[in-house]
Amino acid sequence: MRTKKSIYLFLVPGGLLFLIFFVVPTLYGLSLSFTNWDGLSSKVPFAGFSNYTHLFTDDTMFHGAVGNTLKFVVMVVILQSFFSLLFAIFLLRNTKTNIFLRTLYFFPTILASVSVAFIWTFIYDPNIGILNTLLKDFGLSSLQHSWLGDPHIAIYCLGIVEIWAHTGQLLIIYLAGLQQIPVELYEVAKIEGATRWQTFRKVTWPLLTPATTMVVAYTTIQSFRAFDLVYAMTDGGPNNSTEILATYIYHQAFQYNHVGYASAVSMVFMIVIAIITMLQFGILRLQSGSREKKSSKKKARSTSANPTANPKDLEYVSGGGTA
Amino acid sequence: MKKLMKTLAVFSAVGSLLVTGCGGSGASSNANGGNGKEVTLTFLHWRGEDVPTFKKIISEFHKKYPNINVQMQVLPSNQYIAQAQANLTGNHGADIFTSFPGSEFSAINKAGLYEDLSSQPFLSNFNSDLIKSGQKDGKQFAIPYQVVFNMPVYNKDLFKKLNIEPPTDWNGFLKACQTLKDHGYTPIVFAGKVSAGQFYNDIVMNNVTDPNVFTGLLTGKSKLTDPDFLKSFEQMGELAQKGYFQTGALGTSQDAATAIFAEGKAGMLALGSYQITPVNKDNNNGFKMGLLAPITTASATDAKYQGVDTTTFMLGVNAKSPHKKEAEEFLQFLSQPDIAAQYANETSQMVTVKDVKYTVPALQEMEPLLKKPLRFQPMYTLTNQQVVDDVTNVVEDVISGKDPKVAAKKGQDAINQALSLK
Repeated sequence: MRTKKSIYLFLVPGGLLFLIFFVVPTLYGLSLSFTNWDGLSSKVPFAGFSNYTHLFTDDTMFHGAVGNTLKFVVMVVILQSFFSLLFAIFLLRNTKTNIFLRTLYFFPTILASVSVAFIWTFIYDPNIGILNTLLKDFGLSSLQHSWLGDPHIAIYCLGIVEIWAHTGQLLIIYLAGLQQIPVELYEVAKIEGATRWQTFRKVTWPLLTPATTMVVAYTTIQSFRAFDLVYAMTDGGPNNSTEILATYIYHQAFQYNHVGYASAVSMVFMIVIAIITMLQFGILRLQSGSREKKSSKKKARSTSANPTANPKDLEYVSGGGTA
Repeated sequence: MKKLMKTLAVFSAVGSLLVTGCGGSGASSNANGGNGKEVTLTFLHWRGEDVPTFKKIISEFHKKYPNINVQMQVLPSNQYIAQAQANLTGNHGADIFTSFPGSEFSAINKAGLYEDLSSQPFLSNFNSDLIKSGQKDGKQFAIPYQVVFNMPVYNKDLFKKLNIEPPTDWNGFLKACQTLKDHGYTPIVFAGKVSAGQFYNDIVMNNVTDPNVFTGLLTGKSKLTDPDFLKSFEQMGELAQKGYFQTGALGTSQDAATAIFAEGKAGMLALGSYQITPVNKDNNNGFKMGLLAPITTASATDAKYQGVDTTTFMLGVNAKSPHKKEAEEFLQFLSQPDIAAQYANETSQMVTVKDVKYTVPALQEMEPLLKKPLRFQPMYTLTNQQVVDDVTNVVEDVISGKDPKVAAKKGQDAINQALSLK
C-alpha cells in the first residue's frame, strides 16, 4: 500500500505541470471563447455561442484558413515523411560520407525558425533571390516566378521550407527504426531471392511502423502549428493565401483585438488536431494489428504444413517483429 | 504555513532589493521629481535602434531628477502589439509606453489604459496639428513623438539625368514612369508586405479627400465599390498593368526593395521617409533622394494634398501606473526642444516638437514638407485592423491582375463580414 502511494507521489510533478500548463490554460481558453473580450478591457462581455456560430456560418476567412492549413499539412506530412525515409535508407550505413550527410541534413533543424524564414525569403525573392538567379543561369527563365507573391503557389512554397527545415530531424527517427531491424532478416530475404522492393515492402516497411507512427503524428502536429515560419515569411499574405489557422488565431487575438473569438477558433483548432492525430494513430494501429493477425495465421499454416520458409512469407518474420 | 509565509516574505524582500538595485544609481538626497521618493519608471517601446540615444537622454533626465530612474523595455516592432498588450493588462505594466496610431491606439484607449494628458502644460511644446492622432473626444491621451512621410522616395539624380520633373498630376506621373521604363529603369519598386497599404495612402489621398468618407468604411456609410475608392484601385491597377512595378512586386521583401533602389536601378521606392537612411547606408550616399507622392488628379490645381504623413511612436502614461507624476515629468523632459533635437538628429527622425533645430541634411531637406498640405495617413484613421487588412487585400488583388471592380466587391464583402463580428 505504502509503495503504491509513493508511486503516485512520483506522478505529482508531471501531473502538476500538465495541470498548470495544459488543463488550466485550456479551461481558461474555453471560458474566453464564450466572451467578446478584446484582450485589454477589464470588462469581459459574455457572448454565449455566438463566436462558434459566426465561425462555422459566416467567417469565410476562417474557412479559407482551414483550407490553407489542410493544403500545407497534407503536403508537408506526405513529402516530409517520404524524404526522411528515403534519406534514412540511403544513409543507413555508418560510412564517413553518410555521417557527414546526416549532419548536413540535420543542420536546418537547429536553426531558429526566424533564421530559416530570412534565408528562404531571400532565396525566393523574385528579383535578387538565388532561385530565380539559378533558373536564369540554367536557361530556365520561363520558370522564374514571384514565389511568395503569387497567391496560387505561396502556401506550397512555404511547405517546401517546412520540409527543408525538418526532414533531417525525422530522418534520425527513421534511422533509429532502421537500425533496429535485425540484419538476419535481410540475409534471409536475400537467400530466398527477394527483390529490393519485396525486401522493403515485406521487411523494412512493416518493421518501421512504430517509427512511421511517430513521424506522421509529429509532422502533423508540427505542421499544424507552423506559426513562426509563416508569420515571418508572409504573415498570411498575399491576400490571405497563406493564412493558416495558427496565424489566423494570432491575427484575431492580437491585431484585431478579438481575443474571445480567437479562443473559439483555438478550441476548434485543438479538437481538429486531436481528432486527426487520433485517427492517424488508429489507422496505423489497425494496420499493425491486421499485419499481426495475418502473420500469426501464416505462422500457424507454415508450421503445420510446410516447415521451410517461403520468400512470400517474409511478413511472418516482420509481423512478429512489429508486435 | 507560517514557514511558507516567512519564506515568501524573505523572497519578496530580496526581490525588491534586486529590483531597486537594477534601477540605477541609488537614493539621492536631492530628489526633486514627482513626490521626491526614489522611483523606477519602465518605458516600453519598439525602437531598438534608438536605444543608445535614449540611454543618453535618460542619463540627462536622471541628472535633473536624481530620484527618478528610467528603465527601457524594448520589444521588436513586429511583436510589439501582442507583447505590449500583455504587458499593459498585467498588474505591473510599463509606466510609460508607446503605441501605434489607428486601431492600436483605439483599442488601448477603449480599455481605459491611457492617462488623460490634456491638462499637461508641456503639450504647448508640440506642433498641435501633429499630435491629433493621440486625441479622442477632445482629450489628449497619447503624444505622437515622430513624424514620418509615407511618400515614395525618388532618385533625384536619376530624374535629373532623364530630365524628369517631379510630376504634379496623374498624366505627368504616368509619363514620368514611362520615361523611366523606356530607359531601362524600374519606375516604382514595391515591397509586397509593406507597400500595398502604404502606397494606397498616396493614391487615395486626393481621390477620397473627405476623411469622414474614408472612415465611413468602418460604419458601412462608405463602400470600397464607391466611385472614388474604385478610381484609386483602377489607378493602382493601371500602374501594375503598364509594368511600372518591378517583377514579383508582391513577393519582394522590404530589404530587397531597398537594395534594388539603392543600386540605382529604379526611379522610386514605394515606402517612406524612414527608408532614406537605410538606402544611404546601402549605397554609401550614392545619390540624392527626395520624397514624391503621386498626384492622382487630372490637373495640379485639383489636388488638395501634396503628400501623406504619419505621426507615430505615441507616448502614453499608463493609467494604472503608481508613478504617473514621475512619468509625466519624463514626457515633459522629452518635449523640450533641445532634447527632442538630440533625439531627432541622432536617430534621423523628424519629431512633432516645435522649434527643433535639425542638423542632419536629410532631415533639413524634409523639414519644408511640414509646411505643405499633407494628409494624415488615411489607413491609420481606420480603427479596425481587419478593415485595414481587407483594403490592403484589394490592393494586392489588383496588383495581381484582378479586375478592380471584382476585387473591390470581394473586399467590401470581407469588410461587411468583419463589421458583423463585435
